[in-house]
Amino acid sequence: MKPFSFSKSDKVSKALSAKKEAVQFLAGGTNLVDLMKKNIAVPDGLIDITAVLSDKVEAQSGSTRIGAMVRNSALATDPQILAKNPLVAKAVLAGASPQIRNMASTAGNLLQRTRCPYFYETSTPCNKRKPGSGCSALHGEQRMSAIIGYNDACVAVHPSDLCIALAALGASVNVTDKGNKQLVIPFKDFHKLPESTPDLDNHLPKDAIITSVDIPDNPFNKHFAYVKLRDRDSYAFALVSVAAALDLDGTRIKEARLASGGVAHKPWRWQKAEQYLKGKEANAATFHAAAAIVADEVKPLPGNGFKKVMLMGAIETALQHCLTA
Amino acid sequence: MGLFNTKNKAAGKPDGRVEGIAKVTGAGKYAAEYKVDNMCHAVFAGSTIAAGTIKSIYLDNAKQVEGVLDIITHLNKPAVPGFASETKLKETRFGLPLFHTDKVYFRNQPVAMVVADTLENATYAASLIEFTYQEDTPTVDFKKAHPSVPLKMQGKERGSLDAWSNAPQVVDQQYDIAAEVHNPMEMHATIAHWTADDKLVLYDKTQGVVNVQRTIAKIFEIPQENIEVFSEFVGGGFGSGLRVWTNGVGAVMAAKAVKRPVKLMLTRSQMFSLTGYRPAAWQRVKLGADNDGKFLGIHHQGKNGTSVFEPFQEGITSITRMVYNFDNLKAEQSIVPLNLGTPTWMRGPGDCTGAFAVECAIDELSYQLNMDPVALRLKNFAITHDPENKKPYSSNFIDECITKGAEMIDWKQRKQQPGALTEGDWKIGYGVAVGMWGAGRGNASAGITMEKDGTMTVKTAMTDIGTGTGTAMQNMTHTFTGMPKDKIKIALGHSTLPTAGSQGGSTGLSSISGAVSAVCDALKKQLADYAAAINPAYKDAKPADVLLSATGVSLKTDKNEFVSLADIWQKNNLTDISVKASSGPGAERQQYAFCCSTAHFVKVRVNTKTGKVKVERAICVADGGTIVNEKPAANQISGAIVGGIGMALMEEIHADEKLGNLVGNDLAGYHFAVNADAPIIEVAFINKPDPYVNPSGAKGLGEVGIIGCAPAIANAIYNATGKRLRDLPITPDKVLV
Amino acid sequence: MNGKNYYSRRFFLKTSGALAALAAIPATVKSFYMDAKRLIIPPRQKQPLIVKVNKQTHKLDVDTRTTLLDLLREDLHLTGTKKGCDHGQCGACTVHVNGERVLSCLTLAATLPGKEVTTIEGLADGDQLHPMQAAFLECDGFQCGYCTPGQIMSAVACVKEGHTKSVAEIKEFMSGNLCRCGAYNGIVASIQKVAK
Repeated sequence: MKPFSFSKSDKVSKALSAKKEAVQFLAGGTNLVDLMKKNIAVPDGLIDITAVLSDKVEAQSGSTRIGAMVRNSALATDPQILAKNPLVAKAVLAGASPQIRNMASTAGNLLQRTRCPYFYETSTPCNKRKPGSGCSALHGEQRMSAIIGYNDACVAVHPSDLCIALAALGASVNVTDKGNKQLVIPFKDFHKLPESTPDLDNHLPKDAIITSVDIPDNPFNKHFAYVKLRDRDSYAFALVSVAAALDLDGTRIKEARLASGGVAHKPWRWQKAEQYLKGKEANAATFHAAAAIVADEVKPLPGNGFKKVMLMGAIETALQHCLTA
Repeated sequence: MGLFNTKNKAAGKPDGRVEGIAKVTGAGKYAAEYKVDNMCHAVFAGSTIAAGTIKSIYLDNAKQVEGVLDIITHLNKPAVPGFASETKLKETRFGLPLFHTDKVYFRNQPVAMVVADTLENATYAASLIEFTYQEDTPTVDFKKAHPSVPLKMQGKERGSLDAWSNAPQVVDQQYDIAAEVHNPMEMHATIAHWTADDKLVLYDKTQGVVNVQRTIAKIFEIPQENIEVFSEFVGGGFGSGLRVWTNGVGAVMAAKAVKRPVKLMLTRSQMFSLTGYRPAAWQRVKLGADNDGKFLGIHHQGKNGTSVFEPFQEGITSITRMVYNFDNLKAEQSIVPLNLGTPTWMRGPGDCTGAFAVECAIDELSYQLNMDPVALRLKNFAITHDPENKKPYSSNFIDECITKGAEMIDWKQRKQQPGALTEGDWKIGYGVAVGMWGAGRGNASAGITMEKDGTMTVKTAMTDIGTGTGTAMQNMTHTFTGMPKDKIKIALGHSTLPTAGSQGGSTGLSSISGAVSAVCDALKKQLADYAAAINPAYKDAKPADVLLSATGVSLKTDKNEFVSLADIWQKNNLTDISVKASSGPGAERQQYAFCCSTAHFVKVRVNTKTGKVKVERAICVADGGTIVNEKPAANQISGAIVGGIGMALMEEIHADEKLGNLVGNDLAGYHFAVNADAPIIEVAFINKPDPYVNPSGAKGLGEVGIIGCAPAIANAIYNATGKRLRDLPITPDKVLV
Repeated sequence: MNGKNYYSRRFFLKTSGALAALAAIPATVKSFYMDAKRLIIPPRQKQPLIVKVNKQTHKLDVDTRTTLLDLLREDLHLTGTKKGCDHGQCGACTVHVNGERVLSCLTLAATLPGKEVTTIEGLADGDQLHPMQAAFLECDGFQCGYCTPGQIMSAVACVKEGHTKSVAEIKEFMSGNLCRCGAYNGIVASIQKVAK
């Protein structure tokens, strides 16, 4: 780790004005400290902002606001979340371990960097880590790589579970920028595809701070599921994951939400399949057809063709669980 | 020193291992945890290519880092005598001439070592060293490399291939296993301290302190007795601690260079390249049988990967010679050099690999014959004699293991027709396989020091890597002498204690039981001699006649002839009594064959939509002779099953074909089973003494628990789905596609 | 670096014929070093730290890079907390901060002021083992013992959190603590015993 200065801030505005080039904000630290140990993040300084941000879940009119510092474990057990957005709790509990969930913050979860093994192996080319050096995974091991939305510059995937649920529920991200201006970024626009800048994971303005995440009130608190498929039963990143939620009128689907992790550079909403599900009978045939629509959209790499089949299975399973959960 | 505190630390301390308190309170010291004054830290920088030659090194940035004491490369290292020539290097059996070559054989090979005042400074400086290389094309892909390597005969051919060329039933299949990494929870670490020019103290993570002494003595050309090695607590080994690795040699070099004690703990990523692994393997098994299922012959071929600088061959085909009776066997093997670190023995080495192919092939035959795979095995077991050397087995209860296991899992619930049991998207299947391991025994010594108050310390240099050796020694000493357990202390894992081999190959308990028996006899004889000065009844008393208690000795023949320890001490003017004895295998090895065995039964659920395999029940019935230590023995077996679940379903490490780096070489990328992956594992023992193996009748259990576990799971997956998967690990993608 | 020492060793190396066979050493060592970019290397940054560990207050100067794990093991010699991966992937370094289980390897020591750290060494009440320690002993919830302090700290929290309603729940909520010996049977049994 490179030597760095360390300071604590007690106000968003102070933290923002103290923020200099090559200085990073530190919240839970579960990802940033690890990246620093690997010399992937090499800040000159850290500003501990755990004290400046809200750690409360609050009801707003028409939405639920999750403070940036709400720890994953607190989020998963929050009564309001469990009542109004239980899909979020389910997704959070599918991620990491109890210890990490006690440390990790909501905002940090949004900024989690990819788990592509080449990103972590600093002696290999990686456009995300070292722009212009090339993408090792493009011609290497692709078990953990993308099947949609990738390009030759980067085939890495977004690793979070929470974000998949937030994407499905159409959340938005509240941000304070360097000039103390409040911005609202719709969740679908928060993360980005690799494009020509795979080193950037998202559209968070430079030097800005995420202050909270809002989830609009929604009818998806009865029929929902989060299915995460991985190489072991727990404490592993997803091969593919699916957040599914249905708003049912009897057995008829009024509206559906379907999003996936482990498939793309950002949390991926399956909007065609959601459209298809609208108005259909909630049964195995419908779910299979929706999964087939998704399967048509993906383009696996030579090394991860299995993900297409696995994703179809995960979608069908998740939709089925919506009826039984 | 090496002494486990058995004092009741807490009132009403529950009954547990002798070293249990130290482990549950965090007081036990593992290699990297000793406090040594003036200690500094060494960190390796690894090569960033997998094959080639170092062209240039840039150290200036690293040298600027505060606290850096030295940076060692092949250009400026303190010369190590054992690496001075190819001949000497061979003699050391170390393999890699650490910092004595400009050649790069594998990625992450240590090419520089920073020594600094703190771990933070050393780690940072190591990251700043830059190299340029003349790069060669590496060969790292075992599956692509092995077809061009020819096979060689392995052992003597039994009968001939021709004899069963017309076998009515033949299974001929190929099986693959990915490389697995030991990954003990404690990373390999060494603290090296030169206390004089030719005197060294080492705190080392190892499975054998004597092996460390011997190896380091050879490499640095100092007398073996000048090296004191501590390895009192060992955070797992599974075979990785059976060799001395670069952390040991590096720490010794660094300590010499900076003239200070140096600690070197490998990083988790370095553990993947620098402390061995179970090499990738390919096998072909051709199994012939008659229409009743009687085996006619096996042709077993196997290849495994090794490094380019050191040959390592797994005993892949050994198990084929042990378990079943048949007249014709041909075995062939070869090794495939790759630009990777050198592999080494990993839990159940060779047999674990071989059993996967053979036990799956037998399962395949059972379906071909439409015969219960338990019945098929029972029909072919070699129970009375070792089928290879025809010696009688001293004891072999593999038939009882499989019969008992079948009862425990309620084998009749299994359907012979694959895919017949379904619950929604889940298919349910049952599988069986067996494991066997030669019950070995090595030479070992033990000592006892007895105090006036009856407290005995039983000592040996052998380590306890978590198998419960110390507790077993306490139990055996209690059995052999009659002394209450709370009076028996154990000292282990230090080179000045009576010498013993490494703890490996499931020989630890077997070897040490002989030594403990011998030293208990020696103590009893000594006490009888002293007692004879007080009571003539003890004159000519045999050790077997003498019984100890906390207060004195008595004779089995006449309990009234009690002599108190106080009297013995006073009459003989003693401070303490110290005895030592050695023991080893003898003539029984010429007369008998020795084996331990397991039968594995599993019930799995396989999700047809997601490819998920869930081991719902796992049962292992083991024959380990007398079980001297029931809880730790069961723990050994259930732990081995957890390892088997990993081997079957998730463990694999691959190198990038072009870059040569191990992909995902950390504990997030390399999956082994977490708590949730394993069911509550059911273990049972035959628990019958082996009459000849050693005085305790116990046979080792460390290896045999994992041998046969992976094929049992693969066989269950077939029974559930009708899909025969011959390539480990069976990850969800293989189930699905 | 001690220049004298450096040169004498190099001299030894150059005069050793056998060694030259192993390593192709160029005529002048100096030419061997590449012409690479010289960076400005920042010095370590230390700050005073007051930290409470096992109810004891420590005042020290720490490198900002020092993690709680290395602070415990290297500076405070509380080696009961184990380093199993140093990257948040094994759980061996689990301690309690303000009563909650966290990973000390991903916690910077500099973030600790005002917080209370409890390690395995602080769990027992004097000579009286914590019930979870006693349960691990009795249920043989370990083999090599290296992951054990982390398992026990995690297990204590698992019970406190109430994640003990079934074997499956215990297993899921203990899956952040890897055990390579595979002592999961005993770990689950220990937790069930204490949770009762």
